[in-house]
Amino acid sequence: MKNRTNARLTAAALMIVFVSAVAVLLARQLNVAPMRPEPAYRTFGPADAPIQIYEFTDFSCPFCRMAHTKLDELMKLYPGKIRLVFKHYPLLGIHPWSLYAAAYADCAGEQGKFKQYADLLFDNQETWAFEKGEPGEFREYALKLGLDWDKMQSCAGSTETLRALKLDMSEAEMKNVDSTPTFFINGKRAVGAGQLLDAAKNFDNIIAKAGKP
Amino acid sequence: MKQGTKDLIGLLARLAVAGVFVYAGVLKLLAPAEEFGYAIETYRVLNSQLSLYVAYVLPWLELWVGLLLAAGVFTRVSALASGLMLAVFEAMLAQAWLRGLPVTSCGCFGSSHSHSLGHEFLQNLVCLALVWLAFRYGSRWSLDKYMEGL
Repeated sequence: MKNRTNARLTAAALMIVFVSAVAVLLARQLNVAPMRPEPAYRTFGPADAPIQIYEFTDFSCPFCRMAHTKLDELMKLYPGKIRLVFKHYPLLGIHPWSLYAAAYADCAGEQGKFKQYADLLFDNQETWAFEKGEPGEFREYALKLGLDWDKMQSCAGSTETLRALKLDMSEAEMKNVDSTPTFFINGKRAVGAGQLLDAAKNFDNIIAKAGKP
Repeated sequence: MKQGTKDLIGLLARLAVAGVFVYAGVLKLLAPAEEFGYAIETYRVLNSQLSLYVAYVLPWLELWVGLLLAAGVFTRVSALASGLMLAVFEAMLAQAWLRGLPVTSCGCFGSSHSHSLGHEFLQNLVCLALVWLAFRYGSRWSLDKYMEGL
């Protein structure tokens, strides 16, 4: 009697597990649409590189700063083998100035100095990211790099710049990006510097495979 | 306390814990596992690779334990499993809290909504109390009892 009851309960448990697994797998929505192209100043490395990295990042996020350094190292370690596309995903709820930083970085890019401006923003993140008023550092870095500040200001306030940022943010949401930094490395997601470095352990294999005729 | 009241409290506690587990499991299962893996990594107990493995498995366990508890299948075992999981979560939260780790998202209900570590710790304590009630009094209205009667 006891055995029969246990058998029935086990069958019920297995049924619950099976039905719930199928329901969850059906409910999962995978967005496999290709990434939207970005302006040339936010794209680094050859277009046909065997390793294609799309990075969703936020200038105010400390983990993004860490990952930025790691990415720079990887780009140096694998010259010509990585294509990096930088995408903005400012977390507006917790980082008051990250949208501004992204806009100014893009406008520095319009004047040919996106990377240099982005490096300054990341390197000095602690000084400006949580200031109460608009950080003076945005102007300071522009002048340091010899950029036209008036032009940058009008560019940062333009609808085109804001539209580009919003499109990046929408794309991130469509791809279920919730944390920064999030990378898509040859289509496979990695979140944070740790997962990026785990993925990097496979770069030699990818490059070797790509080199074969 | 009358037996009927105890049974009712047990049932409500069981359903409450089950609801929390199913909700937490489903939210994580519908989001990319890498997001949850990243949240686990911030507790600095497991490295990124192990965190990712846990992120693949744990949400399924949460969902299934929650569903079994709701249906009252192996009620006491399910309650014990949920209590064990909550105890591990408590340990993770407590060590992060004591070490002052910058955990921005506890990962409890996916990576989106999160309270402070202290708040999550207290919330889990309440859940543990409910698990005890479910374990003690939650078997009366369950599939276990129904199957026994067949």
